[in-house]
Amino acid sequence: MLDNILSILIFFPALAGVLGFMIHKDSMRAYGVAVATIEFGLALWLWYAFDNTVAGMQFIEQVALIPTFGINYIIGVDGISLFIIVLAAFFTLIGIASLTDTKNVKNMIITLLMLQMTMVGVFVALDAIIFYIFWELSLVPMLYIIGAWGGPLRIYASVKFFLYTFAGSLVMLVGMLFMAYFYYQATGVWSFAILDWYRLILPENFQLWLFAAFFVGFAIKVPMFPFHTWLPYAHGQAPTIGSVILAAILLKMGTYAFIRFSLPLFPDAATFFMFPIAILAIIMIVYTAMVAYAQEDVKQVVAYSSVSHMGVIILGTFALNVEGITGSIFLMIAHGVVSGALFLLVGVIYDRRHTKMMSEFGGLAHVMPRYATIFGLMMMASVGMPLTINFVGEFLSLLGFYQQSHILTLLAGIAIIVGAIYMLAAYKKMFFGELTNEKNRNLPDVSKRELVALIPLSIITIWLGIYPKPILDPINNSVESIVQLMHDKSTSEEAKKRIPNLAREAGLVTSQEAH
Amino acid sequence: MEIYLYVALFAPLVGSLFAALFGASPRTKIAGIVPSLLLGVSFIASSVLLKHIVSGGDIVHVEMMTWMATGDLYIPFGFVVDQISVTMMMVVTLVSTIVHVYAIGYMDHDKGFNRFFSYLSAFVFSMMILVMSDNFAGLFIGWEGVGLCSWLLIGFWYHKESATWAANEAFIMNRIADLGMLIGIFLVFWNTGTLQYDGAFAAMQNLDQETLTWIGIFLFIGAMGKSAQFPLHTWLADAMEGPTPVSALIHAATMVTAGVYLVVRSNELYALIPHVGLFIASLGAFVAIFAASMALVNRDIKRVIAYSTLSQLGYMFAAAGLGAYWVALFHLMAHAFFKALLFLGAGNVMHAMNSELDPFKMGGLGKTMKVSMIMMTLASVALAGIFPLAGFFSKDLILEVAFVDHHFIIYTVLLLTAGLTAFYSFRIIALIFHGEDRHTALGFHPHEAYKFMLVAMSPLLILAIIAGFTMKMPYFEMVTQLLPATEYHVHSATTYWIMTIGTQLFVILAIFFAYRKYMSKDIRVPDGTSRMENNFFYKLLINQYYIPHFYEEYLVKPYRELSTIFFKQIDQKIVDATVDGIANVLLATGESTRVVQSGNLSTMLKWMVAGMVALLSLAVVFGLAVKYLDEIQAILSGLGV
Amino acid sequence: MMEIGLNHYLVLSTILFAIGLIGVMKRRNLLLLFFATEILLNSVNIAFAAISHYYGDLTGQMFAFFVIAIAASEVAVGLGLLIVWHKRHSNIDLDTMSTMKG
Repeated sequence: MLDNILSILIFFPALAGVLGFMIHKDSMRAYGVAVATIEFGLALWLWYAFDNTVAGMQFIEQVALIPTFGINYIIGVDGISLFIIVLAAFFTLIGIASLTDTKNVKNMIITLLMLQMTMVGVFVALDAIIFYIFWELSLVPMLYIIGAWGGPLRIYASVKFFLYTFAGSLVMLVGMLFMAYFYYQATGVWSFAILDWYRLILPENFQLWLFAAFFVGFAIKVPMFPFHTWLPYAHGQAPTIGSVILAAILLKMGTYAFIRFSLPLFPDAATFFMFPIAILAIIMIVYTAMVAYAQEDVKQVVAYSSVSHMGVIILGTFALNVEGITGSIFLMIAHGVVSGALFLLVGVIYDRRHTKMMSEFGGLAHVMPRYATIFGLMMMASVGMPLTINFVGEFLSLLGFYQQSHILTLLAGIAIIVGAIYMLAAYKKMFFGELTNEKNRNLPDVSKRELVALIPLSIITIWLGIYPKPILDPINNSVESIVQLMHDKSTSEEAKKRIPNLAREAGLVTSQEAH
Repeated sequence: MEIYLYVALFAPLVGSLFAALFGASPRTKIAGIVPSLLLGVSFIASSVLLKHIVSGGDIVHVEMMTWMATGDLYIPFGFVVDQISVTMMMVVTLVSTIVHVYAIGYMDHDKGFNRFFSYLSAFVFSMMILVMSDNFAGLFIGWEGVGLCSWLLIGFWYHKESATWAANEAFIMNRIADLGMLIGIFLVFWNTGTLQYDGAFAAMQNLDQETLTWIGIFLFIGAMGKSAQFPLHTWLADAMEGPTPVSALIHAATMVTAGVYLVVRSNELYALIPHVGLFIASLGAFVAIFAASMALVNRDIKRVIAYSTLSQLGYMFAAAGLGAYWVALFHLMAHAFFKALLFLGAGNVMHAMNSELDPFKMGGLGKTMKVSMIMMTLASVALAGIFPLAGFFSKDLILEVAFVDHHFIIYTVLLLTAGLTAFYSFRIIALIFHGEDRHTALGFHPHEAYKFMLVAMSPLLILAIIAGFTMKMPYFEMVTQLLPATEYHVHSATTYWIMTIGTQLFVILAIFFAYRKYMSKDIRVPDGTSRMENNFFYKLLINQYYIPHFYEEYLVKPYRELSTIFFKQIDQKIVDATVDGIANVLLATGESTRVVQSGNLSTMLKWMVAGMVALLSLAVVFGLAVKYLDEIQAILSGLGV
Repeated sequence: MMEIGLNHYLVLSTILFAIGLIGVMKRRNLLLLFFATEILLNSVNIAFAAISHYYGDLTGQMFAFFVIAIAASEVAVGLGLLIVWHKRHSNIDLDTMSTMKG
């Protein structure tokens, strides 16, 4: 069973989702929770069985689909994708478990299970076409979640979300086809397998074009400035569960794809575009943080804060060294936990008051102290307080990029200031002051069902902030191999200089020891 | 010895968690008593460590576990107890134990009693991490941790708009400085390859001046935020919105001195870059007189003491900047004792006066609050630096340092500040405790604080009196094993005596002047009409040189407006409108071309024929072009294309 | 007397094609449209047959038969639809048939 665990992880929720149509409406919740629990258990088992010391892919499965064109079902997992998969299973579980009263709860749960299939699929795919299929399929359940259960502007928001990301992915698909074609030209064999592509060294000008094609698809997904405007609408209109999954997992597809595709395939182009992308990332960080400060809707604050944090992740990724990339992957997980929790928290108050406008609140700390405490914890994590999960990622990302540019890191570091400004301002507006709005007088504090989701997230937030090692080690191993690959593959002087050569450093140490 | 280290470090955390357990339940004394006892335990453990260090024992260094490790980066949770950190530990645990006990009485009637102790103990834990960490990253944990607790405690009465505003201001301003600190840490890492103090400082000896200067500057920016140096000073006065025990512990004795601690801890770095040191000293001297001048006129006793803290921090930085690290640390310690005492005394007054803070509305309180009066007066004497109290030994030493190092401008500024310090300290003493009774008319019925609060304060009183002459030499011998043991002696004995006695006389004169001026019978509650209040300088000072006003007008407001512009104008009207614009162009194209699809078969057939003709013609043209390629190229090259 | 060669057939085919094309474009009556289409198809048939004869290759003539067969079936279906339309609307004017308007 362990040999096929990845396939099981992908298709078990889908199968269960299909079977879900036969389940009675009243027992659907229990069914959904059961399926998600099994899936989460499987994900944990995968983690348990995962060999931390191996840098490369594990649990590889291969089934031929169209061998003539080198399109095969190849899946595998390494330290970079492992934790995002676990996180996806975890969020599906707590999402279903804490699902509040929703119309058509049956369809919602089936949609979530389908979404889970696509999420796991994206992160384990080792074949570009399989990757692309799951990547696009993931849009469909999210389109339904926003379009069917969303707010008043849901149709606009869902169509915008779908078309925008879809248009970007098409450019990416063209890039993939070209990449496969170049591979064919170089070797005489068609292949869409990513691991095959890793071995191909392309001339720099080819790299630049392909990098740009992939970039469009990934950047819209992340979303990077100036492609970010679909996100506030999607978050603003999506139901709580939709926002949680969107922020926690779906956005990570873009940054993950940068690390899986753009960096190892096109190291020279990555070096070439490093500074422009870093500047975009800084604009993302500072500009969207300021936009977040101008929001009146607390959910939009969190939505824009997501964009801002994704900027730090991008910056870490394009540090092109082990510290930065490891930090950015860790920050993906951290941001998943924290922003997911923040969206859940916004959902808590929305369920009670059916509004998200901060002007309607104020003084909530008086009536909902536990809510205020958990919100405060997550806010501090979002702000990047040491000993919370976010700090580790942010610190490493910025530290990594500092090696590439001092002044840009200084500018990006403004993140810790502007982040504090909008978060504290929002917290003050919601929780501090006298209780002025009569409607808030009798609000109940967080319920048990909500705590089911929030308590584990709080524990993870602190646990991984104090002891990130269990996650950092496997990530570090895989990242080291990718950085080494990038260094070996790069052809330009600049890239050789920017991307550290780990093997030589290690070699130096041993030779010194020998002396 | 490790066990004592862990006890000293984690006892406050246990206390904090214990009090947090009662966070949601109604006020219970146990939530205050247990953390206080645990802090006492921490104090005892620290004392054992102190004894160990003083008696020449080895430095205690433990590595608890790995925190972050990736690539070349390795950061453990490591803790070190050496001469510097043990000094800080003693100050922190002693003052916080006293403040905890005091707060049991002070917060007696507050419904957030349990929550308060949870925060306060968490603060002590963060502070202990800050001073005990053996690396810069651990220092940063504590650094941010105390910032968080300071935010929680300033905004403790969260229903008050001013309190939450001050809390956010403090947090954000500290964050600005923390960015500098973070950059400093990055610089240290990429240049030395480690964040451990010993490794990093050792590697710094081989770095070039420019890098070292940058490291020094960025780390000092971090220190400026926490220690509220100009221009990041405004938060400290506003932080007085928090409960008074918080002001005593965080904003006088411990947290604000973290910046000084950082400079002292990094003495090996700053010794290599004396020009940065001189800048630090100059800034310190400037802040000393700048803050003292604002304290002269303020009508809020807590704010006066806060400015005085700021001023004393300036003294410490002046000493540290000039390389007299042990002097700075000594003043830090002495200052912690008498300033905490002063704050707690002010807390008694506030309690008695139902949170009234304007000393002009008090007067004659000495009759009812004799013990508090004696304590505050002695604390002020210590602050003013009168022989033989603690302040004399630490503060006069700083003046000597400046004099001996031939920095006469700094010396003069600090000397002047000493006079101002004495004046404003006794201005509030006179206004509160002496002179006419002005409070009864306003309906106040003051009473002395609980006895146990006064008893709790007494160790501070004793230390404020004796810390100078009993502790100076043992302290000097201890810390100079780690810090440069420069002794500052004025060469000629005559000069020394003239200086010392002159300073003493100057200070005493200032005290007399303050008493004379503010004990007179015609002191009224100012109402904005007197000539002095309309004086330009008075206005400048009472408005804190218009700096908060400037920040509000030229930083906060533009930031808010810019944010709105970014959102409303740029994000919605440019970025998003472009995206929607592209979509709309496509839609409009479809709308306008769909008339072609009229449904009329005849029309469509015509279109079909037209299309066919067009394609055929194209095929013919391309066919011809290929056929006559050579000729075309010849013609084109003839045309010079 | 002039020998009738390939060119003559092709010219005839072109003329017929042009007539058919004009008919397709100009006619408003569905029945006449069918006629015009038939003329188009037959002009192609002539060209097929002529070229086939010219090259001595029977493929062209075979294709002509295919075209005839398909034209016949097309007319059969078309006329059927035409009759249904005429029964419902009692005219077969093309301008009235615009239900496929976009």
